[in-house]
Amino acid sequence: MLKINNLHATVADKPILKGLTLTLNPGEIHAVMGPNGAGKSTLSYVLGGRPGYEVTDGTATLDGQDLLALAPHERAALGLFLGFQYPVEIPGVSNVQFLREALNAQRKARGEAALSAGDFLRVARTQAGAMGVDMDMLKRPVNVGFSGGEKKRNEMVQMGIIDPKLAILDETDSGLDIDALRVVGDGINRIMRKPDKAVLLITHYQRLLDYVKPDFVHVLADGRIVRSGGAELALELEREGYGALAA
Amino acid sequence: MSALALPSPREEAWRWSALAALPALAEATPRADALPVAPAFGGPHLTFIDGVYRPERSNPGPVAVGAVDAASAHPLARLATAPGWTLALGDDHAAGLVEIIHVSTGGANHVPARIALAAGAQARIVETFVGDGWANRLTAIALGKGARLMRALRLTQASGFTSLRDEAEIGEGASLVTVALGAGGAGSRIDAALTLTGTAAYAEMGGALLARGEQRHEAAVVVRHEAEKGVSRQIWRAVADDTASASLAARVEVAEGAQKTDGEQSLRGLLLKRAATVNLKPELEIFADDVKCAHGATVGELDAQALFYLASRGVPPAAARALLTHAFVADALDRIGEEAVRDAFIADADAWLEAH
Ligand SMILES: Nc1ncnc2c1ncn2[C@@H]1O[C@H](COP(=O)(O)OP(=O)(O)OP(=O)(O)O)[C@@H](O)[C@H]1O
Ligand SMILES: [Mg+2]
Repeated sequence: MLKINNLHATVADKPILKGLTLTLNPGEIHAVMGPNGAGKSTLSYVLGGRPGYEVTDGTATLDGQDLLALAPHERAALGLFLGFQYPVEIPGVSNVQFLREALNAQRKARGEAALSAGDFLRVARTQAGAMGVDMDMLKRPVNVGFSGGEKKRNEMVQMGIIDPKLAILDETDSGLDIDALRVVGDGINRIMRKPDKAVLLITHYQRLLDYVKPDFVHVLADGRIVRSGGAELALELEREGYGALAA
Repeated sequence: MSALALPSPREEAWRWSALAALPALAEATPRADALPVAPAFGGPHLTFIDGVYRPERSNPGPVAVGAVDAASAHPLARLATAPGWTLALGDDHAAGLVEIIHVSTGGANHVPARIALAAGAQARIVETFVGDGWANRLTAIALGKGARLMRALRLTQASGFTSLRDEAEIGEGASLVTVALGAGGAGSRIDAALTLTGTAAYAEMGGALLARGEQRHEAAVVVRHEAEKGVSRQIWRAVADDTASASLAARVEVAEGAQKTDGEQSLRGLLLKRAATVNLKPELEIFADDVKCAHGATVGELDAQALFYLASRGVPPAAARALLTHAFVADALDRIGEEAVRDAFIADADAWLEAH
């Protein structure tokens, strides 16, 4: 589904990704761990097409289509969803207003009919309910005044509404309380654990992986994948830290 | 016709004005081919076509038409000496929403108006400017004790120029709220001198200017506090796209003795292109010592992080810019109290945003 090959990228002329190769097949959940500053968020931004992140070499395709040639909104229409490490606050724009616009723009790009306001609200209510977010919050401006945990839940509500093919979730678990972690974990499984979908889960902690069992775990250090393994690799990292990897 | 005497851009109060097209408009003859513009709010309404009252398209309700008891030394407003309209309400009278539609078909038209509300009277007026040519207006406003006037001004001409001049005296405990949407014409100037003459009066003037192409829109408002405990608010948003310019000059004067004045100016500009211009000039002149005057003036661009966040969810760039620009102007237009009027103004702003 997602094929990244020898990806090099710079931010402000500084090389961050230095030959990253990774493949996600349909039905797989991959966890990516790694030290602070390794380039994990950079990977998600490069795949999402954030301005300022320049690809200098390598390829990335989603279902055979060249992701890197598309504008960010076109990547979304192709089925890519980014869960942000730091969700952005947008004063004056309500969640429901922008999500309906987002969803219908994606549907239009795929040649599907637009959802009516009523149908959209039904979908939004269902997804918000599943994430323990009330509709009043969805009517408020995007992430404005939301607590850290509420922002992360809101990312998951958005993922539920958009129903993407591939989700790249950047530290969705950070800032969540113990109960919220379970709710978010259940949400990821419910929305994304399907034979035709895939997830790239960026995390620092084993906790989330107790709820969302990864098929593969990778270590990203200094801009590359330096080690890959099964779910047990995360436990090993938790015990021994990244220092042992050098050996 | 004798040469038009226009203020020079060397004068400080006119430095951002774009009056160059006015002499030719003043000489031109209107085409008089106006399409009917239907009133939008279902109450009393007056239609002026090229400055001439059209009874067959009007239902004036409480408004009188004819010579107007108003005169001004203002360089543009002094031209408004033709017949116009007057809304005079006696003590404690309340008028429903009155709509005034100004259609221009080229050329120039100059119309005065007077709004005089006696003690406790209340009125709400919406004025809409459409067509092309130069529409020039003087509105003299006198509010008696406790009177309340709400005005909404919608400048949506296709081309030409709209120049508005308000001169208001606001008495004790009276309230004047004017919200403007400047989104049309090649140029416009919304100009006002509001004087709080009575204790605890309230003056609010603000709105949104939307300029694109080579348009040049400006608002220049002076609020003068002459009595104690007055409150004034000037909340303006200026958006400029392409090579257009949008300019806001807002001044608060607090006369000696106008203690406990509470004045606020919030001027914010948004540049949609690097070649566009926003000018902001908040000014304070204070001759009393016990006053609270807050002012803020900032110019920025659309937030790149917000644009990427919206794009990452699938919102195309033009729609993302429209969403963020709408949010930027909405808090100024949200000040319109009447829901139907507010919705109409926001719809006009959205139409402007989508017309790209
Ligand atoms: N705009 C920028 N200018 C210069 N350096 C940048 C910029 N943005 C990111 N970087 C650098 O890129 C490197 C990778 O950052 P990135 O956010 O991808 O790390 P990360 O693996 O997600 O870390 P964390 O675990 O702390 O979230 C860091 O050294 C960071 O300082
Ligand atoms: Mg990160």
